[in-house]
Amino acid sequence: MIEVRNLAKHYGNVRAVDNVSFTIQEGEIVGFLGPNGAGKTTTLRVLTCYQPATSGSAKVAGHDVFTESMAVRREVGYLPESVPLYPEMRVREYLHFRGKLRGLDRPRRNVAIARVSERCWLGDVINRPISQLSKGFRQRVGLADALLHNPRVLIMDEPTIGLDPAQIRETRSLIRELAQQHTVLLSSHILPEVEVTCGRIIIIHRGKIVASGTPAELRQRISAGSQLIAELKGPEAEVTAGIRKLDGVKDVHSEPADGWTRVTVSARHDLREAIYKLSAEKGWPLRELRRDVATLEDFFVKIVAGAHQSEG
Amino acid sequence: MRNTVAIMQRELLSLFYSPIGYIVVTGFLLITGVLVMDSFGPGKPATLRNVFGFTPYVLTFIVPAIAMRTISEEYRSGTIETLMTAPVSDVQMVIGKYLAALVFYAIMLAGTLVYLILMMIFGSPDMGASLSSYLGLLLVGVAFTAFGVFASSLTRNQIVAWIVGAVPLILFVWFAGFIVDRTEGWVRDAFQRVNVVRHLDQFNRGLVTLEGVVFFVGAAALFLFLTTKVVESHRWR
Repeated sequence: MIEVRNLAKHYGNVRAVDNVSFTIQEGEIVGFLGPNGAGKTTTLRVLTCYQPATSGSAKVAGHDVFTESMAVRREVGYLPESVPLYPEMRVREYLHFRGKLRGLDRPRRNVAIARVSERCWLGDVINRPISQLSKGFRQRVGLADALLHNPRVLIMDEPTIGLDPAQIRETRSLIRELAQQHTVLLSSHILPEVEVTCGRIIIIHRGKIVASGTPAELRQRISAGSQLIAELKGPEAEVTAGIRKLDGVKDVHSEPADGWTRVTVSARHDLREAIYKLSAEKGWPLRELRRDVATLEDFFVKIVAGAHQSEG
Repeated sequence: MRNTVAIMQRELLSLFYSPIGYIVVTGFLLITGVLVMDSFGPGKPATLRNVFGFTPYVLTFIVPAIAMRTISEEYRSGTIETLMTAPVSDVQMVIGKYLAALVFYAIMLAGTLVYLILMMIFGSPDMGASLSSYLGLLLVGVAFTAFGVFASSLTRNQIVAWIVGAVPLILFVWFAGFIVDRTEGWVRDAFQRVNVVRHLDQFNRGLVTLEGVVFFVGAAALFLFLTTKVVESHRWR
């Protein structure tokens, strides 16, 4: 549905997007994750035909964004980060205007507006001037506009920025619902966001893609498995040796902790039960047993720091 | 085509919503009203020529005030992004906004018909000359509005758009005579061809010249073309 090959966008010397390639299949929800200034918005702007790329190619719904711009625009619903609206218009008027631009005649517009205002919970404010709406409602109006023509592809730039936690939750569930009927590409610099809503994440930093995969895959990558932390009362050397013998252990690190032995185990799978059994078998009391699941945030920070290091 | 109409409708709605529109219209009608008073005196000829003669001088700053927000406001509010990612061509957008400003101008101009009617009640003005005068003023609006829209496309600040639109027009119209008097030969000829006041004088006399029509319409076409190019160039920044 979206194919990007060697896309680059330079502003003078600055490489906002540097040789980016990825593919998004129909029906996926993909999150573009990256720190501010990474190149997310620029990439989205190229895909929505707002700006042309410096080099490379991009296709949306089978149409090239540069040579078949109008066809692409018809297939895409776009919600820019700033959610630009006309404050003097009422919500209904605005949606009618956008509907006209989408080529919908009056009867179809009425149906579409009814549909999107229900979907985006705009019922109460449909006749209010946009200047009177809160940020959360404005976001929904923007989203309603993007959905009017039932596009195959939805592109959203930071869709939950500036919303309060309740609104964020609503928006997330709305996005997940939408993914059932549309292909969704959203960008964010908020990790939990992307982790929770997206089936696949593309991490972009300084214009380059540094990682890509499902949230689970990415978490695996950072520590290739979970880390277990346990504290057992027993001689350090024996405890360490005993644990090392367990099936699936990759590495054991131990240190004394006021009379107990604190072990940090990286393993291929969850060894908590095995450790418990070991402690019972050997008679070593167990006072802590927990698993630290690597978070995407660790991964993100590591990747970004790693990219920094390799550059300079 | 439908896109152009949709954009025109929206822009017109905006123009009528904004207080600036009403201030501009009121200002214009007040100024022309004051000028008209002079033409209504016992024994005076039933003509509005003096008013029509002076109106283009007033329009040099009034028309850019109508057009100033057409494109600059889209830049400022960011709605240019949703407009340029919708299946609307840049040309359709520019023409739509231009037409809205022009219609607004025409409505404002129609407000002065009151004076013509009054004159018809108290005298018998030359209808032919009056009609051609109005045509001339309409054409001046066609050209000035295009220039105002062009100025609006150059900046995100409405006030700057107004100034950039008004100052060249003021220089062009107010100082036309000044420049013509001080030049000669082909420079003088060239300037006379684009002299707005001269063209309008002929319209006021009842002469609808092809030269005049071509000049005003051609100027509008030129500036609308330039506007489209400026708007397009925004994608490349």
